[in-house]
Amino acid sequence: MSVVDDMAFWIFALTAIVSGWRVFCTDSMVRASFLLLASFIAVGLIMLLLGAPYLGIATIFMMGVEMMVMALFMVMYMMNPAGLNPMVMVHQHRFSIGAGIAAFVGLAAVMLVTDFADNPVASDARVVTDLGKELLGDSMLIFETAGVTLLATMVASVILSSRSGRFGPADEGSVPPPLEPGGQPAGRLPEEGGGHGHHHH
Amino acid sequence: MTPIVLTVAWVAFLLGMAWYVAVLDGLWAAAREGRSLRTPLANPLYRCATMLRQQSNLTEAPDLLNWRLAPALYAGLAGTGVALVPFSGASVLADLEVGIVWWGAVEALTVVVVFLHGWSANSQLGLIGAYRYVAIGLPVMLISMFVLIAAALPAESLAVPKIIESQRELWNVIRQPLGLPLFLLIGLSLSFRGPFNYADSADLADGTASEISGAARLVWEFARLAMLVATAAMAATVFLGGYLGPVLPGPLWLLLKTAAVLVLLVALSHLFARISPSRMLTLIWIVLMPLAFIDLVWAGLVAL
Repeated sequence: MSVVDDMAFWIFALTAIVSGWRVFCTDSMVRASFLLLASFIAVGLIMLLLGAPYLGIATIFMMGVEMMVMALFMVMYMMNPAGLNPMVMVHQHRFSIGAGIAAFVGLAAVMLVTDFADNPVASDARVVTDLGKELLGDSMLIFETAGVTLLATMVASVILSSRSGRFGPADEGSVPPPLEPGGQPAGRLPEEGGGHGHHHH
Repeated sequence: MTPIVLTVAWVAFLLGMAWYVAVLDGLWAAAREGRSLRTPLANPLYRCATMLRQQSNLTEAPDLLNWRLAPALYAGLAGTGVALVPFSGASVLADLEVGIVWWGAVEALTVVVVFLHGWSANSQLGLIGAYRYVAIGLPVMLISMFVLIAAALPAESLAVPKIIESQRELWNVIRQPLGLPLFLLIGLSLSFRGPFNYADSADLADGTASEISGAARLVWEFARLAMLVATAAMAATVFLGGYLGPVLPGPLWLLLKTAAVLVLLVALSHLFARISPSRMLTLIWIVLMPLAFIDLVWAGLVAL
């Protein structure tokens, strides 16, 4: 590895960690999603350095789409959309601190205990071809099962949320949930015979 | 070509072609309105100068970092797209083994930066433009994936130079007739022009760009042109054989083909009306997506 490669590695590694940490400090869903994207892009670039071009760029590409969809759906379905509105992004503090420490210790132990491979692949090895053969050869069943499951999930979520969906026309008779069980729907009720139609006569 | 010559060629290609598109746009508008055809030649340069001398607009409580970064990132993405295109057999700036996948990443990240640009200004019109763009931009990207995988099939490689070499006997535009028309629509969507202008359209008073002025606006407008140039160069490379051609040198062929594709793209963006976002979504999912799938199956059967 040349000095340039080393420097690139440290820059990407630092970017990945710092932006991953900032995800939990920011006060907006959108910022959190795209900070996570920045972290993944840095990891993708490290994979490029490691000589896994397809996996690296596919990570960047998939995460780009994924974080975009995530940001959009979170803002769409949240009570407080917190786009540019600040909101607290962390909850269940004690449990998450415990889980965080456990995960850190576990992963650090794996890193220290594992005997990592130390045989560089020849620079003219056809890594992308080999990966394709693996994905559509021995691992085809796993790969395709995961793919079809994800596709079924996507189709199902579109059917459930579409206007003419499972629960009838989506824009008819939808009322916000009550604030206490069995109470009136939250928010302002539409006025009797409302709308602006009468003003035009 | 040495790396320095290549880099200079890359910058010149981006700037020159962006100016060329701006002139084409101006000429089209002037011809339609019966004005003199002389002014559009210098107009893009005057416009650059005007924007550079403008004050920078500020909104109330924007996300300043993302707002300022988005135009630069958008231009950068267009730049990496052009870097994938080989000027001749031996000269390509970014000789990636998986170049076509990087182009996919360029498309995905474009949706992200356009959204960020509209969102971070903290203004309604920008936000509406951003949301509309994501709704249209994401399914358009799926079409692009099918079309590009189909184009990579005969080459049995994801590298752009190999895709060109696979077209020595027959260009992909003939081998996969559905590919180029679909890819041109993707180009219009990537730079939100004409029938695909859901981000920065007149009905939103410029949408995601409604609040920017000055240097930021200059970069944003340049980036839109540069992204169209990148798509045209990619279309010329993946479907029209890139630098391949008789008599003339390779780089000139690439230039001519890119220029021709750009004329087509400008004509499409001026000739077609934009339909409402919901109808466009139906059109994309019901008509264009199956066409893209047919293109892929077609390419697969031909490759067999």
